Amino acid sequence: MSSGDGHSAPGRARFITLVVLLAATLAIVILLSVATGAVRVSPADILAALFQHHPLTETQQIILLQIRLPRVLAAAVVGAALAISGLMFQGLFRNPMADPYVIGASGGAVLGASIGIYFFSQLSAFGFSATALFAFAGSVATMAIVYSLARAHGKTHVITLLLAGFAVSTMLGYSSYFFELLDTNGSTGNRILLSWLHGVIGIPRWTQLSVTAALLLLATVIALPLMRQLNTLALGDEYAHQLGLRVEYTRVGIILTGSLLTAAAVSLGGLISFAGLIVPHVARLLLGPDHVRLLPVTALAGAIFLVVADTLARSVFAPTEVPVGILMAFIGGPFFLYLLRKTKRSYAL
Amino acid sequence: MNPLLRFADVSFGYDDGNVIQSASFDLHEGSCTALIGPNGIGKTTLLRLAAGVLRCSSGNVLLGDQPLNKLAIRTVARTIAFVPQQLDLPFQFTVRQVVEQGRTPYLGLLRGLLREDRIAVDRALELADVSVLQHRIFNELSGGERQRVKIALGLAQQPKLLLLDEPTQNLDIGRQVELIDLLHFLRAEGITIFASIHDLQLIEGNFSTVLLLSPDAPLMSGTPEEMLKPSLLEKAFNCPPRRHPLLLERTQSHAKKAG
Repeated sequence: MSSGDGHSAPGRARFITLVVLLAATLAIVILLSVATGAVRVSPADILAALFQHHPLTETQQIILLQIRLPRVLAAAVVGAALAISGLMFQGLFRNPMADPYVIGASGGAVLGASIGIYFFSQLSAFGFSATALFAFAGSVATMAIVYSLARAHGKTHVITLLLAGFAVSTMLGYSSYFFELLDTNGSTGNRILLSWLHGVIGIPRWTQLSVTAALLLLATVIALPLMRQLNTLALGDEYAHQLGLRVEYTRVGIILTGSLLTAAAVSLGGLISFAGLIVPHVARLLLGPDHVRLLPVTALAGAIFLVVADTLARSVFAPTEVPVGILMAFIGGPFFLYLLRKTKRSYAL
Repeated sequence: MNPLLRFADVSFGYDDGNVIQSASFDLHEGSCTALIGPNGIGKTTLLRLAAGVLRCSSGNVLLGDQPLNKLAIRTVARTIAFVPQQLDLPFQFTVRQVVEQGRTPYLGLLRGLLREDRIAVDRALELADVSVLQHRIFNELSGGERQRVKIALGLAQQPKLLLLDEPTQNLDIGRQVELIDLLHFLRAEGITIFASIHDLQLIEGNFSTVLLLSPDAPLMSGTPEEMLKPSLLEKAFNCPPRRHPLLLERTQSHAKKAG
C-alpha cells in the first residue's frame, strides 16, 4: 500500500521510525501496566517468565492472566478502536472536531446498556455481558437510524448527518434516567449504569476480548483502502466525485467500519471521552494529514494512550479506582484545549 | 471531425427553475474556449455539466459519441478535469499530496501510487510550474499559487479537456498574465481548454472561441472578433457601453468606422 507525502525519503523514514517507536512503547507500557497493582510483580520477573522459563508463582499467574492482562489488553483495544474511528469520522466530516460518538453511538449505547443492566442482567453470550451486548447493539442500531435519517435521494449530507447524530444521541443519552426511575429494588443497577456511563474498563473474559480484538483487526483491514479515499474526500464531495471516486460507497464504508469500531470500544469500556478526539489530532500534528500513514500511527498511539490512562485510573488513588472516562475528561480536556490554542490558526473552517 | 465534447440541447435546473435552457455547442479538440456572461447566469453550472458532476435534466452531454452520464465516472475523470473556483482543505495537506489526488481515477481499491503515477504527478507539477512549491502547505499559499496548484491537480488526471472556473479571478495583473501564458502552453501540449472568464480584456488573442450566456437569449458562440461586440455585450451584461473602457473603446472605433 502506497501513501502520500511525496515519497520523499525523509518523510517515509520518519513514518517508519514513528511506527517502530510506538510499537515498542506500546509493548513497554503494557508490561509496566501489567506489573502495576496491589500485588507487586516486577517487570523483570514477567520478562524472565516469558523468555527464560522462570515460572511465576501460581497466585502471580492468576493475577496476571485472569485479572490484569485482560484488562490492560482491553484498554489497548478500546484505545485503538476509539482513535481509529475518531480518525475516520474526522476525515469523513472534514472536521477535526468530530469524534467517534459524533453520529449517535454514545446515545444508543446508553439506551442499550440501560436495557441490558435493568432487564437482562443475567444474560451473557460469547463472553459478553448483557450490558456490553446491548450497548453494542444499541450503538449500531442508532447509527443505522441516524444514517438513514440523513440520507435523501441516494445521497447523504454530511452536515445533516452530524446534526441528526447530535439530536438522536442527546435524546437517547438521557433515556437512562427513566430506567433509573423504574428500578425500584435497590441501587445495584443504578450503580452499574453509573460506572458504565463514566467509562470503566472492566475485566473482560478472554472470549469477549478476543472477539473484540478480532473486530478491531477486521475493521482495520477494511479501513486501509478507505484511508486513501479519505484523502481524496478532503477535497470535498463534488471534487472527489469529479476525480472518479464513488463518494457514497466510501462514505458507507467509513460509517460502517467507524461505527463497528465505536460499538466494540463501547462494549468493553463504556463511554470514554476525548480519546477518539485527541489521538488523531496529535498524530496529525506529528505526521501531517495523510490518512494512510495516520492509520497505524493513530491505532498504536490510541492503544498507548488508553493503557496509560487506565493504569493511572486504577493506581493513582488505589485502592479506590477512578473511572478512566472521568480521568480522561480531566486530563484530555485541558490537553485538548492546549492543542487548540497552539494550533488555532491551522484550521480555516 | 467529431467534437471532443458536445452539448446537444442541454437543459438543467435546480429546484427553482431552469438555469441552462437548451444549450447546444461543440468543443473541438485543441480549441481554447472562453465562457462569458453576467454573474449568476449559470457559467459554473455549465462547466459542472461539462465535467459530469451535474446531470442535465434533458438533452445530452456527449463525450466523443457517448453520453457523459452513461460512462463510468473513472473514465470521465481520465478525460475531463475540472478546476473549481474554490478549493478549501480541512487539513494541512502539502501541495504534492493535493496534486497526487489527481491520480485517483487511475487507482484501485488496493492499488496505490505506482511509479507511473509519481511521474505523472511530477509532470503536472512541472507543467503548472509549481514543482518548487511541492512541500509547502496548500492552505498557506497565495491566491496565484493556489490557482496553479489546482491546475496541476487537474493535469495530474492527464485529461484531454481542462475545464476552468474563473481561473483569473482574484489574481493581480501579473499573475493573470502568467496564468494566460500557462493556458497557451497547455494548449500547445494538446490539451483542450474551456474556461469561464470574468475579465473580457483577457480574451482577445488568447482564446479561439467565445461562448456567451445571456439572459433571455439562446447561447451564442463565435470567434472573439464576432462575439466581443458592444451590441451583444451591452445586452448580455445589461451595461451601457460608455460605462466600461473596453466597450467604450469599441464603441468609438465602431463610430469611426461608421463615420
